[in-house]
Amino acid sequence: MAITTTPAAVTAQTARAPRDEPEGRGRTLRAFKASPATYAVLLIVSAILFVPFVFVVSIALSSDQTVNTNSFTVIPREFEWGNFVRVFTSDLPMGRFVVNSAVIAFFAVIGQVISSSLVGYAFARLRAPGKNAVFLVVLATMMIPAQITMIPQFILFKELGWVNTFLPLIVPNFFSNAFNIFLVRQFVSRMSSEVDEAAMMDGLGFFGIYRRMILPMMFPILVAIGIFTLTATWGDFMGPLIYLNDESKMPLALGVQYIASTGQALQAPPWNFVMVGSLLLTVPMICVYYLGQKYLYEMNLSGGSAGVK
Amino acid sequence: MATSLSPSATKPTEPPAPSPAAPVRRMSTSRRREARYFYLFISPWIVGFLAFMLGPMIASVYYSLTDWDTFTPPTFVGIDNYVRLFTDDPIFWKALGNTFYYAAISVPLGLVLGLWLAHLLNKQVRARKLFRTLIYLPTLVPLVATAMIFQMVLAPDGPLNGLLGWFGIDGPAWLLDPDWVKPALIVLSAWGAGGATVLLLATMKGIPNEFYEAAEIDGAGSARQFWSITFPQVTPIIFFNLIMGLIGAFQIFSQVYILTSGGPNNASQMVVPLLFNEAFSYYRMGYASAISWVLFVIILLFTLVAFRTSRRWVFYETEMR
Repeated sequence: MAITTTPAAVTAQTARAPRDEPEGRGRTLRAFKASPATYAVLLIVSAILFVPFVFVVSIALSSDQTVNTNSFTVIPREFEWGNFVRVFTSDLPMGRFVVNSAVIAFFAVIGQVISSSLVGYAFARLRAPGKNAVFLVVLATMMIPAQITMIPQFILFKELGWVNTFLPLIVPNFFSNAFNIFLVRQFVSRMSSEVDEAAMMDGLGFFGIYRRMILPMMFPILVAIGIFTLTATWGDFMGPLIYLNDESKMPLALGVQYIASTGQALQAPPWNFVMVGSLLLTVPMICVYYLGQKYLYEMNLSGGSAGVK
Repeated sequence: MATSLSPSATKPTEPPAPSPAAPVRRMSTSRRREARYFYLFISPWIVGFLAFMLGPMIASVYYSLTDWDTFTPPTFVGIDNYVRLFTDDPIFWKALGNTFYYAAISVPLGLVLGLWLAHLLNKQVRARKLFRTLIYLPTLVPLVATAMIFQMVLAPDGPLNGLLGWFGIDGPAWLLDPDWVKPALIVLSAWGAGGATVLLLATMKGIPNEFYEAAEIDGAGSARQFWSITFPQVTPIIFFNLIMGLIGAFQIFSQVYILTSGGPNNASQMVVPLLFNEAFSYYRMGYASAISWVLFVIILLFTLVAFRTSRRWVFYETEMR
């Protein structure tokens, strides 16, 4: 699960908003000029990357007739906009899936934001014996593949009677993960400590400093962590697959696969509904990224590769 | 909390030693209080580490030495699981081979594509933001949706074979053909190459223009400038993507599980889907735990090798000083 977060996270970490130098002004290096060949390649590649999206929309807008005869086209021929309503009114629990995903993602985000901000603040600001050793352990946990802990965690949650509930997918988030702790620590370390020293003079305790001084300033990094957690939980497939058997408990990521795998022997899966489901999975992530990219680029932790090294 | 009493309470002078016998350097009360708060603040992580990381890891080592179906008590079998894994399980070897094959092609391919696209976008391209967005878009799609999409794209009469048909190529039945199912999964992975592109592009933008100006004065051509300036400057990012890509490739699961279930005839079976089946379809928890440790060792070895060799080709600016 942590792995899914990481590439996006690093993107944000290093992607200093590229300085788009005003084009055509001043002296341009020969090597920097785009040739027609460059445009041709970019156009072709973009088109190839974009075709699957067009195809998805085309299938999502197909009639049941087309689904049964499996005669889809890449460019939409039919426009059954009603499919977007029917997935919620048919006996497929698509609405339920969406609500389940939203509930799980909401609590997971809350859990990560609260716990990472507390732990990250402590690592950035408080002094204690053994702190560096503990931080090394935090970083080391990033190396352990999730598969190692998957089975014992399943046994643990089974013993607790949490199988077929949202708890196994939500609760671990309240204990933070190494990557988010690291992000918060980096972010807070770079803030001036004069503010908290002044606050301490005024008699504020450590929790008060965290709550009233640091937390508000952490906003960008917490938004970023929220986005990573949301993306990871919203799209998570393996976790729900292990813990949720009941159709009515499934989140969208599992539900879409569930719908696609139904009725294999006798009739074709309702591909138009599956693709509406895929769009419901995808479009919110694109919106979140679009709205949140400002914060993702703001994080800019200790300048690019230094953090990676 | 004593802090609220007076400002000086936060930084008091050394109080009279309560236990004069203590030979070690003693901390001031404020320092000790700070340390207490530190451990209080990080307690969520400590609890999580013990409950969801260290405890499970120890349990996993133990399970891997047992035969356990979760319904009857585990029986200790020593290293039998590991022995069987290596000497008596052709499916495991096949899955391992497939995973290596997938990683060996998909990771370099993703890096080369990412680097190439970043290099193109680093030029003075009109509508760069649009291209950048289009290239990055696939990485925002959740894996399940990606798998659903590619189930249709890779269908025998799907768009990919349609495209190949334009060039007179009769495309295979990708997911149904043992020879083509792994390449199909690699095609799917290449769709997400844009993730690396954004990172690399951002780094390329940070390379000082003077480097290129100097190179141009020296008569270096476009290709020479790329290999002598751009490439060395982005090697740390390439290295990072290599490590993350390797780890991700060895842990491939959802695509295989949804698209092929490891078939046809185990041609696309990989380590994690196999582990998942052993654990949650056949309830062989001990055997599955053993697989997870073998996977861990493999990932660790690859990471170490990558780190070792990185000294030869990864360029860090700090080395110049």
